[in-house]
Amino acid sequence: MADRILAQYEHEEALAAAIRRMRAKGYRALEAYLPFPAIEVEDALIGSAPSAPSRLPYLCFLFGMLAAGVAYALQWLLNGYLYPLVVGGRPPHFPLAFVPITFEMGVLFASFAAFIGVLWRGRLVRLTDDVQGTPGFESATRDRFWLEILAADPAFDPDRTRADLVETGALRIELPEVGP
Amino acid sequence: MSEPLLIGRPSDAALGDELLGTTWRAGGAGWKIAFAITGALTALLFALITYTVVKGIGVWGTNIPVGWAFAIINFVWWIGIGHAGTFISAILYLFEQGWRTSINRFSEAMTLCAVLQAAIFPVLHLGRPWFAYWLFPYPSVMEVWPQTKSALPWDAAAVSTYFTVSLLFWYLGLLPDLASLRDSAPTRRRRVIYGLLALGWNGKAVTWRHYKAVYLVLAGLAAPLVLSVHSVVSSDFAIALVPGWHSTIFPPYFVAGAIFSGFAMVITLVIPVRRVFGLHHVITRKHLENCAKLILVTGWIVAYGYMIEWFLDWYSGDRAEMYQAFVARPFGPNKIVFYLSMICNVGVPQIFWWTRARTSVWVLWIASLLINVGMWSERMMIIVQSLQREYLPSQWGDYSPTWVDIGILIGTIGFFALLFLAFLRLLPFISLSEMREMAHELVKHDRRTPAHGERHDG
Repeated sequence: MADRILAQYEHEEALAAAIRRMRAKGYRALEAYLPFPAIEVEDALIGSAPSAPSRLPYLCFLFGMLAAGVAYALQWLLNGYLYPLVVGGRPPHFPLAFVPITFEMGVLFASFAAFIGVLWRGRLVRLTDDVQGTPGFESATRDRFWLEILAADPAFDPDRTRADLVETGALRIELPEVGP
Repeated sequence: MSEPLLIGRPSDAALGDELLGTTWRAGGAGWKIAFAITGALTALLFALITYTVVKGIGVWGTNIPVGWAFAIINFVWWIGIGHAGTFISAILYLFEQGWRTSINRFSEAMTLCAVLQAAIFPVLHLGRPWFAYWLFPYPSVMEVWPQTKSALPWDAAAVSTYFTVSLLFWYLGLLPDLASLRDSAPTRRRRVIYGLLALGWNGKAVTWRHYKAVYLVLAGLAAPLVLSVHSVVSSDFAIALVPGWHSTIFPPYFVAGAIFSGFAMVITLVIPVRRVFGLHHVITRKHLENCAKLILVTGWIVAYGYMIEWFLDWYSGDRAEMYQAFVARPFGPNKIVFYLSMICNVGVPQIFWWTRARTSVWVLWIASLLINVGMWSERMMIIVQSLQREYLPSQWGDYSPTWVDIGILIGTIGFFALLFLAFLRLLPFISLSEMREMAHELVKHDRRTPAHGERHDG
């Protein structure tokens, strides 16, 4: 038995309308796959499973600030403490001259946090997943919009869910094989 | 607001076939010739780098007092060219300028290729490049720690951060398109390669949500970063006491010059590319016109920088500064670069006051080449002419490049072109997911204002 059902729609508005109707019917474990980020789909998904706004920007801020602090402390350690040298008439501990590297390291590590964060939260860096290989699913990166309902959803029933999806105007419906 | 950003309303599938097709279609003889020429120049570059490292930088024209010369000119020139890419991808994104969409990927790749060229020079200029890692605070038993109060470690931090952040920003933007390439690959080998590069992207809504949030954060980080990089580069000069360098106008003046030359390079590259690939409806006249307008604006900031420098040299009453600005530069050795900078950086951009010049492909292309020449000359003027005439006449000297200097400069142009051509052939150089988003928004916009249709796209 498949652990999810996938339905294909022609455009983002059809998908958004389908999400609303399926939610009205009591489905909760909904997810969408689309070739570009569409605001209608975002709005329709609000309230269903993983739709909380991304908190990654806070992570970036935290990492950036930490890295900037470490960079400043390291410069103080090397230039102000371990090897105090007067360079260009500047005293060993000279905060103004430490600004460029402090800033650069803050930006660098905030960017690392941003990039790695999206890979982590999006569960990327994988060779395949549960939906790849579903017939027709390659259109999700091309010109079609897909709705996914997990079998874990309390309202899920293979036949009834399929009928419900047909009602929403799905172009095609697939039950991907569960992997070996 | 009269010119459209996208001519016609292609469907998602048509847009995908067109923009991804550039990677599938076999290249003709022209491509082979282009790769052969740029490959030969790249070989020349690496041969000359080897020669320089084996013999020492005495094979360059660099001397005392002109200790910086070509290496630093080329470094500043290349890194400046990179700046327009980040300006387009980050700053115009934050300002919600829709026209950046079709040229941002392309300009970011230009940034990466240009920064790679730039990075060659300071390392070679160290004289003993195998000690380049001394710039970084690695755990060493020598206890001779890098001194971060000098501008060289700032440069090392700024340039390596700039390259890394540009790469992350560019790669993150590529992920959805790499997934599109994976899913439409004609052969299994390509499907596997692009599939690995796509890191398993599947277009899930939750991933898009994080992606959008983070893309905005990266744009917000890259925007001040790009301004900081050339400010740091300018500090190499401004914190020294050499007449013609010691000036507080340098950071904004350098940043404007960088964006100015970078937009010129974008135009130099985009005009042949849209012709070769026939993308006139995606990269429209509006894009070219906007780039020309930004060249005019930043060109005026550069001109203002020149004027403020002259004014402050006079106002300072310092004889060495006045001599530098009013005698050494216009009448001293290598004076040609002074005139080239004035003509190409102040004179040439003025043609962009005319709409016909901004929309004529040939005028734009030739002007962009002249501006690149002008900006290279400006760096030569600042670096070589200043060092030729310092405070004491007993310090004065002269400079001329050797064939190795010129060969390395030409070699980096070839290497830059080689990397860029490879990018054009192997990756979608227009962001497909962003173009789709824009096309859908334009369709919705058309639906709301049926009477006006395409006229309100801008």
